[in-house]
Amino acid sequence: MLLQLNGIFKWVQQGGQRVFLLKDINLEVEEGEFISIMGPSGSGKSTLLNVIGMLDDFDEGEYNFLDEPVHQLKEKHRANLYKQYIGFVFQAYHLIDELTVYENLEMPLLYKKLKGSDRKAMVADMLDRFGIVGKKDLFPTQLSGGQQQLVGVARALISKPKLILADEPTGNLNSKQSSEIMALFKELNDDGVTIIQATHSEQNAAYGKRIINLLDGRKV
Amino acid sequence: MYKNYLKIAWRNLTRNKGYSAINIGGLALGMAVVILIGLWVLDEFTFNTTHKNHEKIAQIYNRGENLDTGEMGSFASTLYMMGSVIKENYTDYFEHVIRATWVGEYVLATNGESYTQTGQFIEKDALDMLSLDMIQGSHASLEDLNAVVLSESAALAIFGTENPIGKAITLNNEMDAVVKGIYKDLPKNNDFANVKFFANWNMVEANEPERFERIKTVWDDWSFQLYVQLRPNIDFETANQALRKLYTQYGPSNELDIFGQRNLHPFAYPMDKWHLYSEFDSQGMPTEGRITFVWLFVAIGVFVLFLACINFMNLSTARSEKRSKEVGIRKTVGSKKKQLVIQFLSESLLISALALVLAFVLVAVSLPWFNALAGKDMSIPWGNPIFWTMILTFTLLTGLLAGSYPALYLSSFTPIKVLKGTFKAGPYASVPRKVLVVFQFAVSIMLAVGTVIVFNQIEFTKDRPMGYDQNNLISVQMNNPEYNGKYEVLRNELMNTRVVEEMAQSSSPLTGVHSNGGGRISWKGKNPEMRPDFGILRISHDYGKTVGWEFVEGRDFSREFASDSSAIILNESAVKYMGLENPVGNFIEFGNDNRAEIIGVTKDMVMQSPYQPVKQAFFYMDYDRMNYIEIKLKPNVSASVAIAKIESVFNTVVPSAKFDYKFIDQEFASKFEAEQRLGNLAGVFTLLAIFISCLGLFGLASFVAEQRTKEIGVRKVLGASVLNLWKMLSKDFVILVLISCLIAIPIIYHFMGQWLQSYEYRMEISWYIFVIAIAGALAITLLTVSFQAIKAANVNPIKSLRTE
Repeated sequence: MLLQLNGIFKWVQQGGQRVFLLKDINLEVEEGEFISIMGPSGSGKSTLLNVIGMLDDFDEGEYNFLDEPVHQLKEKHRANLYKQYIGFVFQAYHLIDELTVYENLEMPLLYKKLKGSDRKAMVADMLDRFGIVGKKDLFPTQLSGGQQQLVGVARALISKPKLILADEPTGNLNSKQSSEIMALFKELNDDGVTIIQATHSEQNAAYGKRIINLLDGRKV
Repeated sequence: MYKNYLKIAWRNLTRNKGYSAINIGGLALGMAVVILIGLWVLDEFTFNTTHKNHEKIAQIYNRGENLDTGEMGSFASTLYMMGSVIKENYTDYFEHVIRATWVGEYVLATNGESYTQTGQFIEKDALDMLSLDMIQGSHASLEDLNAVVLSESAALAIFGTENPIGKAITLNNEMDAVVKGIYKDLPKNNDFANVKFFANWNMVEANEPERFERIKTVWDDWSFQLYVQLRPNIDFETANQALRKLYTQYGPSNELDIFGQRNLHPFAYPMDKWHLYSEFDSQGMPTEGRITFVWLFVAIGVFVLFLACINFMNLSTARSEKRSKEVGIRKTVGSKKKQLVIQFLSESLLISALALVLAFVLVAVSLPWFNALAGKDMSIPWGNPIFWTMILTFTLLTGLLAGSYPALYLSSFTPIKVLKGTFKAGPYASVPRKVLVVFQFAVSIMLAVGTVIVFNQIEFTKDRPMGYDQNNLISVQMNNPEYNGKYEVLRNELMNTRVVEEMAQSSSPLTGVHSNGGGRISWKGKNPEMRPDFGILRISHDYGKTVGWEFVEGRDFSREFASDSSAIILNESAVKYMGLENPVGNFIEFGNDNRAEIIGVTKDMVMQSPYQPVKQAFFYMDYDRMNYIEIKLKPNVSASVAIAKIESVFNTVVPSAKFDYKFIDQEFASKFEAEQRLGNLAGVFTLLAIFISCLGLFGLASFVAEQRTKEIGVRKVLGASVLNLWKMLSKDFVILVLISCLIAIPIIYHFMGQWLQSYEYRMEISWYIFVIAIAGALAITLLTVSFQAIKAANVNPIKSLRTE
């Protein structure tokens, strides 16, 4: 099992009252799954993804990731865990505007302290695999949205994560670019990468093997 | 990894040109100030170090009690015989013992041409002790009894391209000497820098044989200087211990009583202290002096650099929202906080390195001008490894200091917030920024007010009532025996030129009192215990009319009263000092039945330090021992015409003397040179500090305007006028600057009050200085901020709202 959520609650205090963002979430994810989380705006999709990605805290419940009890880990330990096993893809791509495509891809590897020759090989590999070799010296702002998200996915993948978390990965894309990205996700999943995506669109959700519906922070 | 950091940094810099310019420019300016101050401080600390043995060279001083005031004092003058005694009996302690005269101006004549040069008569080993760099001759060149060695510049001035070695030269037309050597001029940061020739000591002795015969037995002529060089194994404490008993062991019995009463003893005052520690406390011990200014400038330098660093911190954190996305991404793809800190620090190091390069350009360009301002001869020591180590350390520290806050601040963002776009700097995020701005302005205001007070004090002292009229007054030093007995002829001829209003002779120039004493003087009602001390001025009949002094009581000397040859005139301070009720008509006793009638009391004339009260002094007539001629030019004749006519008279009457004159007002102004110079330096640095602060404010204002673009747009759509918006945007800054004023003013008031205490003649700090400071600070702030505010307020709201 890749990860397990048991009775996760998350809330904020608003005017003396608890507003629940997540309410009693129980979820088990096996390796190799492709899960789509669906629900209207404000239903807690992003919050759930952030909790799974360890970017956000929760207030109650247990979370085990690869048999490590995340709820008991210290901040630093947790950060190491997600850095090693999780890749993120964002709706707004979140590429660094000051770096070229090549440099954006290289960045996670720099933080892993890989040797220069290894980095070169891995970046070249990724560029090749995504067919963006010709774009490697361009800056993000010189690319179309679809191409930027392609780079975003490539960057998430380059450090060979077990799990990819994608928060509305196609939210800023047109339908053609959208289906390209989703096809790519399917391909990756077929290669064994676990993917959890949050999405509005039924069509995109259908790419997943399992769909989880959220409403007001609760699984329905 | 670092390559990646630097790449990002560089791209950020080139993408935000205005912001980078403010950052790098401001930092470079701060660094340039620090480098300039550093060079200045280095120059001060290396004073006299050009002498190889500077650590072992000393001047013999005497410390003793002033029986009048009961305070101990130290002075540089020594007796002739001290040299002899030390040479004979202290050989274990001193390698060199060298007598010298005071440095003075002499007329050097050769081939019928004469030149005025400053120089010193000194014993022959001086060249070796001072390790002079000889261009011609050797350290033995001063051995011959009539030898003279010239500095390179003096040799060039006198002999041009001719080889001066072996040429005969006369000093003040009374001593015949031969040029034996040429030495390289000493650098400006040297106490012997103005000595342009050294002449063998023996010529002084040969010139006045009776005087020197007498002072070998009578120890009362404190007219000489004595330099020593300690043996390598002797330290100053040991030497001074030994010197302490010099008078009791070797002094003549007839002077010992008074020496003992005054607890008089000599001590060696190290060369390394001459310049920076030139003042003595009331125990006669060396205390501070110029070193206070050195530390003051160090403090200014540190402050100015700190101001520049604050700019950097403020602008970086202000722009944090733009960088926050990057921080979020980096954190999610695996950066640790530490790595982000390192990234932002390396960014600030890059900026400080760029600023350093620019700072060097600024320093190189401004150095000649700075040298002129500081009266120094500084250069950038390109080849000095210590200099580079210091510069690099300092750049590193600057980078770390400036980058620390932004690095810690930026790296602490949580990725989820910044990536979601919910990151908004909260209402308190700008508090540290505001605190830094307040600090910046408080420092700038303190520097500005401090500088203004220094200048005011100088002006105040300059405007002090002089007690005489400096206008159109020149003085000529009679530094040639040919003047003897020629005064009446000169006077007649000069009065006939019709350009001279009046002229007189005196023993001291108007800008100094060369003779002090009066221990044996008494008067009616004098306390018998008191050992009086007066400034003594010998003058001719027409002195008063020439200098235009003013009488409080009585009358001036007059040719109509033959008895005036034994009359005296007091100044006001002397009357107070003596405690006389009705001075005019009273008598002063000069011991041995010699007495003089007080015929008048003048207003105090400021002749010595303008910062001190005027010393009690008396004037009497003595035509035999005069040193100076004062000439009052007619006010309606142009000075150049008058001087030309006067010069031609001097050239006919005293042909061998060089006509060398000085305007009294200029001479007097030179007394302010040191203060003026330090004031100017402080002024320049203050302006730079203010400029740097404004630069930061400008950057910050532009940031705030940018941040509030949407708000401005909305307000405008809802009907706000440009004036409303300008007020809104400027208000915050005005408040900050007012807070700075509130902090700065009491502090600087306290410090400057203390500083003024060190001057006897001082101004009061008036409130309007502070009003002007506040008004100035507000005006500068509004000017700086308004540019951005008005720009932002004028943007079409459609545009600013569309960007959202």
